[in-house]
Amino acid sequence: MTSLPPVDFLALSGALLAIGIFGILTRRNFILLLISVEIAINAAILNFVVFGAYAGTPAGVSGQAAAIVLIGLAATEVAVGLAIVLALNRARGSINVAEATQLKL
Amino acid sequence: MILDEVAFASLAAIAVVTALAALLVRELVHTILWIAVFFVTLSGIYFLLAAPFLGVLQLGVYAGAVTILLLFGVMVTRKRIFSREAATGIGPAALVLASVLGILVVVSASGVPTQEVPIRGYDVTVLSTTLFNDDGAWLLLLGLTMLGALAGAIYLVREGRE
Repeated sequence: MTSLPPVDFLALSGALLAIGIFGILTRRNFILLLISVEIAINAAILNFVVFGAYAGTPAGVSGQAAAIVLIGLAATEVAVGLAIVLALNRARGSINVAEATQLKL
Repeated sequence: MILDEVAFASLAAIAVVTALAALLVRELVHTILWIAVFFVTLSGIYFLLAAPFLGVLQLGVYAGAVTILLLFGVMVTRKRIFSREAATGIGPAALVLASVLGILVVVSASGVPTQEVPIRGYDVTVLSTTLFNDDGAWLLLLGLTMLGALAGAIYLVREGRE
Protein backbone atom coordinates (compact mmCIF):
# COMPACT_ATOMS: atom_id res chain seq x y z
CA MET A 1 0.00 0.00 0.00
CA THR A 2 1.18 3.47 -0.83
CA SER A 3 2.04 5.79 2.03
CA LEU A 4 3.09 9.41 1.62
CA PRO A 5 2.94 12.54 3.81
CA PRO A 6 -0.34 14.40 3.11
CA VAL A 7 1.34 17.78 3.47
CA ASP A 8 3.36 17.15 0.29
CA PHE A 9 0.18 16.99 -1.76
CA LEU A 10 -1.14 20.14 -0.13
CA ALA A 11 2.11 21.94 -0.93
CA LEU A 12 1.76 20.89 -4.59
CA SER A 13 -1.84 22.09 -4.56
CA GLY A 14 -0.80 25.46 -3.08
CA ALA A 15 1.92 25.87 -5.71
CA LEU A 16 -0.52 25.10 -8.54
CA LEU A 17 -3.07 27.54 -7.10
CA ALA A 18 -0.37 30.25 -6.98
CA ILE A 19 0.56 29.57 -10.62
CA GLY A 20 -3.09 29.75 -11.65
CA ILE A 21 -3.67 33.05 -9.81
CA PHE A 22 -0.48 34.46 -11.31
CA GLY A 23 -1.73 33.59 -14.79
CA ILE A 24 -5.16 35.12 -14.15
CA LEU A 25 -3.56 38.36 -12.96
CA THR A 26 -0.99 38.76 -15.72
CA ARG A 27 -2.49 37.45 -18.95
CA ARG A 28 -4.80 39.28 -21.35
CA ASN A 29 -5.37 36.53 -23.88
CA PHE A 30 -8.77 34.95 -23.23
CA ILE A 31 -7.57 31.40 -23.91
CA LEU A 32 -4.61 31.82 -21.54
CA LEU A 33 -7.03 33.11 -18.90
CA LEU A 34 -9.16 29.99 -19.36
CA ILE A 35 -6.06 27.81 -18.97
CA SER A 36 -5.04 29.65 -15.79
CA VAL A 37 -8.50 29.08 -14.32
CA GLU A 38 -8.21 25.40 -15.24
CA ILE A 39 -4.88 25.14 -13.38
CA ALA A 40 -6.42 26.76 -10.27
CA ILE A 41 -9.49 24.47 -10.42
CA ASN A 42 -7.24 21.43 -10.78
CA ALA A 43 -5.43 22.49 -7.60
CA ALA A 44 -8.79 22.57 -5.79
CA ILE A 45 -9.82 19.16 -7.18
CA LEU A 46 -6.48 17.72 -6.04
CA ASN A 47 -7.30 18.89 -2.49
CA PHE A 48 -10.62 17.01 -2.54
CA VAL A 49 -8.92 13.82 -3.73
CA VAL A 50 -6.10 14.12 -1.17
CA PHE A 51 -8.41 14.55 1.82
CA GLY A 52 -10.65 11.79 0.49
CA ALA A 53 -7.71 9.42 0.20
CA TYR A 54 -6.45 10.15 3.72
CA ALA A 55 -9.81 10.23 5.50
CA GLY A 56 -9.66 6.49 6.12
CA THR A 57 -13.41 6.13 6.66
CA PRO A 58 -16.26 5.41 4.25
CA ALA A 59 -17.00 9.16 4.36
CA GLY A 60 -13.73 9.77 2.54
CA VAL A 61 -15.21 8.50 -0.71
CA SER A 62 -17.29 11.68 -0.80
CA GLY A 63 -14.07 13.51 -1.67
CA GLN A 64 -13.80 11.53 -4.89
CA ALA A 65 -17.48 12.05 -5.66
CA ALA A 66 -17.00 15.81 -5.21
CA ALA A 67 -13.93 15.63 -7.49
CA ILE A 68 -15.99 13.96 -10.23
CA VAL A 69 -18.68 16.65 -10.00
CA LEU A 70 -16.00 19.38 -10.08
CA ILE A 71 -14.30 17.86 -13.14
CA GLY A 72 -17.65 17.98 -14.93
CA LEU A 73 -18.23 21.59 -13.86
CA ALA A 74 -14.75 22.65 -15.03
CA ALA A 75 -15.29 21.02 -18.43
CA THR A 76 -18.63 22.86 -18.75
CA GLU A 77 -16.89 26.10 -17.90
CA VAL A 78 -14.34 25.56 -20.69
CA ALA A 79 -17.14 24.92 -23.19
CA VAL A 80 -18.94 28.17 -22.30
CA GLY A 81 -15.60 30.04 -22.21
CA LEU A 82 -14.73 28.93 -25.71
CA ALA A 83 -18.19 29.93 -26.96
CA ILE A 84 -17.45 33.41 -25.56
CA VAL A 85 -14.02 33.33 -27.27
CA LEU A 86 -15.66 32.57 -30.64
CA ALA A 87 -18.32 35.29 -30.19
CA LEU A 88 -15.68 37.82 -29.09
CA ASN A 89 -13.43 36.94 -32.00
CA ARG A 90 -16.30 37.36 -34.46
CA ALA A 91 -17.41 40.70 -33.00
CA ARG A 92 -14.05 42.34 -32.24
CA GLY A 93 -11.53 40.46 -34.37
CA SER A 94 -9.39 39.86 -31.31
CA ILE A 95 -9.59 37.89 -28.07
CA ASN A 96 -7.64 40.37 -25.97
CA VAL A 97 -9.82 40.85 -22.89
CA ALA A 98 -8.63 44.48 -22.54
CA GLU A 99 -10.52 45.29 -25.75
CA ALA A 100 -13.73 43.61 -24.64
CA THR A 101 -15.31 46.65 -23.03
CA GLN A 102 -18.97 46.02 -23.87
CA LEU A 103 -21.06 43.27 -22.39
CA LYS A 104 -23.19 43.23 -25.54
CA LEU A 105 -21.16 41.76 -28.39
CA MET B 1 8.30 3.79 0.69
CA ILE B 2 11.13 5.35 -1.25
CA LEU B 3 9.64 4.41 -4.64
CA ASP B 4 6.43 6.32 -3.90
CA GLU B 5 8.40 9.36 -2.81
CA VAL B 6 10.43 9.34 -6.02
CA ALA B 7 7.25 8.92 -8.08
CA PHE B 8 5.48 11.75 -6.28
CA ALA B 9 8.48 14.10 -6.38
CA SER B 10 8.97 13.65 -10.13
CA LEU B 11 5.25 13.96 -10.89
CA ALA B 12 4.96 17.10 -8.75
CA ALA B 13 8.03 18.65 -10.38
CA ILE B 14 6.69 17.93 -13.87
CA ALA B 15 3.26 19.35 -12.90
CA VAL B 16 4.69 22.65 -11.61
CA VAL B 17 7.13 23.03 -14.52
CA THR B 18 4.54 22.29 -17.21
CA ALA B 19 1.97 24.61 -15.59
CA LEU B 20 4.54 27.42 -15.60
CA ALA B 21 5.67 26.60 -19.15
CA ALA B 22 2.06 26.71 -20.36
CA LEU B 23 1.76 30.31 -19.15
CA LEU B 24 5.21 31.49 -20.26
CA VAL B 25 5.81 30.12 -23.78
CA ARG B 26 5.27 32.47 -26.71
CA GLU B 27 3.18 30.37 -29.06
CA LEU B 28 -0.40 29.61 -28.05
CA VAL B 29 -0.33 26.12 -29.59
CA HIS B 30 2.68 25.23 -27.42
CA THR B 31 0.67 26.36 -24.41
CA ILE B 32 -2.00 23.79 -25.26
CA LEU B 33 0.61 21.05 -25.59
CA TRP B 34 2.15 21.91 -22.20
CA ILE B 35 -1.22 22.01 -20.52
CA ALA B 36 -1.99 18.56 -21.99
CA VAL B 37 1.18 17.22 -20.33
CA PHE B 38 0.07 18.94 -17.09
CA PHE B 39 -3.31 17.17 -17.16
CA VAL B 40 -1.67 13.79 -17.82
CA THR B 41 0.71 14.37 -14.88
CA LEU B 42 -2.18 15.17 -12.54
CA SER B 43 -3.84 11.96 -13.69
CA GLY B 44 -0.66 10.14 -12.61
CA ILE B 45 -0.94 11.79 -9.18
CA TYR B 46 -4.54 10.52 -8.88
CA PHE B 47 -3.31 7.01 -9.63
CA LEU B 48 -0.70 7.50 -6.89
CA LEU B 49 -3.51 8.54 -4.53
CA ALA B 50 -5.24 5.17 -5.16
CA ALA B 51 -8.03 6.80 -7.19
CA PRO B 52 -7.71 5.04 -10.58
CA PHE B 53 -11.25 5.91 -11.70
CA LEU B 54 -10.55 9.62 -11.20
CA GLY B 55 -7.23 9.21 -12.99
CA VAL B 56 -8.96 7.74 -16.04
CA LEU B 57 -11.65 10.44 -15.85
CA GLN B 58 -8.94 13.11 -15.74
CA LEU B 59 -7.31 11.56 -18.83
CA GLY B 60 -10.59 11.37 -20.71
CA VAL B 61 -12.13 14.72 -19.79
CA TYR B 62 -9.08 16.97 -19.41
CA ALA B 63 -6.25 15.45 -21.45
CA GLY B 64 -8.78 14.45 -24.10
CA ALA B 65 -11.82 16.69 -24.38
CA VAL B 66 -10.68 19.98 -22.82
CA THR B 67 -7.33 19.95 -24.65
CA ILE B 68 -8.99 19.32 -28.01
CA LEU B 69 -11.58 22.02 -27.28
CA LEU B 70 -8.86 24.57 -26.43
CA LEU B 71 -6.87 23.57 -29.53
CA PHE B 72 -10.00 24.06 -31.61
CA GLY B 73 -10.49 27.52 -30.10
CA VAL B 74 -6.88 28.46 -30.89
CA MET B 75 -7.16 27.21 -34.47
CA VAL B 76 -10.35 29.17 -35.11
CA THR B 77 -9.04 32.46 -33.68
CA ARG B 78 -5.42 32.06 -34.66
CA LYS B 79 -4.93 34.46 -37.55
CA ARG B 80 -5.78 37.56 -35.58
CA ILE B 81 -4.27 37.16 -32.15
CA PHE B 82 -0.79 36.54 -31.01
CA SER B 83 0.13 35.24 -27.65
CA ARG B 84 2.28 38.14 -26.63
CA GLU B 85 0.23 41.24 -26.59
CA ALA B 86 -0.68 39.13 -23.66
CA ALA B 87 0.79 40.66 -20.49
CA THR B 88 -1.07 43.15 -18.29
CA GLY B 89 2.18 44.75 -17.10
CA ILE B 90 1.68 44.02 -13.41
CA GLY B 91 3.91 40.95 -13.55
CA PRO B 92 6.03 41.46 -10.39
CA ALA B 93 3.08 42.49 -8.19
CA ALA B 94 1.08 39.48 -9.40
CA LEU B 95 4.05 37.20 -8.76
CA VAL B 96 4.37 38.45 -5.17
CA LEU B 97 0.63 38.20 -4.56
CA ALA B 98 0.41 34.68 -5.96
CA SER B 99 3.46 33.52 -3.98
CA VAL B 100 2.07 34.96 -0.73
CA LEU B 101 -1.24 33.23 -1.40
CA GLY B 102 0.45 29.91 -2.16
CA ILE B 103 2.60 30.11 1.00
CA LEU B 104 -0.48 31.05 3.03
CA VAL B 105 -2.29 27.96 1.76
CA VAL B 106 0.66 25.74 2.70
CA VAL B 107 1.11 27.34 6.15
CA SER B 108 -2.60 27.04 6.93
CA ALA B 109 -2.23 23.28 6.50
CA SER B 110 -0.22 23.13 9.73
CA GLY B 111 -2.52 20.58 11.37
CA VAL B 112 -1.89 18.09 8.58
CA PRO B 113 0.54 15.28 9.50
CA THR B 114 3.99 15.56 7.93
CA GLN B 115 4.95 11.91 8.43
CA GLU B 116 3.90 9.17 6.04
CA VAL B 117 0.27 8.05 6.27
CA PRO B 118 -1.07 5.07 4.32
CA ILE B 119 -3.34 6.05 1.44
CA ARG B 120 -6.71 4.36 1.35
CA GLY B 121 -8.27 3.44 -1.97
CA TYR B 122 -11.95 2.85 -2.62
CA ASP B 123 -13.76 0.29 -4.68
CA VAL B 124 -15.49 1.75 -7.74
CA THR B 125 -18.78 0.19 -6.57
CA VAL B 126 -18.58 2.18 -3.31
CA LEU B 127 -17.82 5.32 -5.31
CA SER B 128 -20.76 4.83 -7.66
CA THR B 129 -23.12 4.11 -4.74
CA THR B 130 -22.02 7.36 -3.10
CA LEU B 131 -22.25 9.27 -6.35
CA PHE B 132 -25.71 8.06 -7.37
CA ASN B 133 -27.40 7.57 -3.98
CA ASP B 134 -25.97 9.69 -1.19
CA ASP B 135 -24.58 12.55 -3.29
CA GLY B 136 -27.10 12.11 -6.11
CA ALA B 137 -28.36 15.67 -5.80
CA TRP B 138 -24.94 17.00 -6.85
CA LEU B 139 -24.94 14.86 -9.98
CA LEU B 140 -28.44 16.09 -10.81
CA LEU B 141 -27.36 19.72 -10.32
CA LEU B 142 -24.32 19.08 -12.52
CA GLY B 143 -26.58 17.74 -15.26
CA LEU B 144 -28.85 20.79 -15.05
CA THR B 145 -25.82 23.12 -15.12
CA MET B 146 -24.47 21.34 -18.21
CA LEU B 147 -27.84 21.63 -19.92
CA GLY B 148 -27.95 25.38 -19.22
CA ALA B 149 -24.34 25.78 -20.36
CA LEU B 150 -25.10 23.90 -23.59
CA ALA B 151 -28.03 26.19 -24.36
CA GLY B 152 -25.94 29.27 -23.49
CA ALA B 153 -23.01 28.16 -25.67
CA ILE B 154 -25.30 27.53 -28.66
CA TYR B 155 -26.94 30.92 -28.14
CA LEU B 156 -23.54 32.66 -28.05
CA VAL B 157 -22.14 31.16 -31.26
CA ARG B 158 -25.27 30.90 -33.40
CA GLU B 159 -25.22 32.35 -36.91
CA GLY B 160 -26.75 35.68 -37.86
CA ARG B 161 -26.95 37.23 -34.39
CA GLU B 162 -26.59 40.99 -34.60
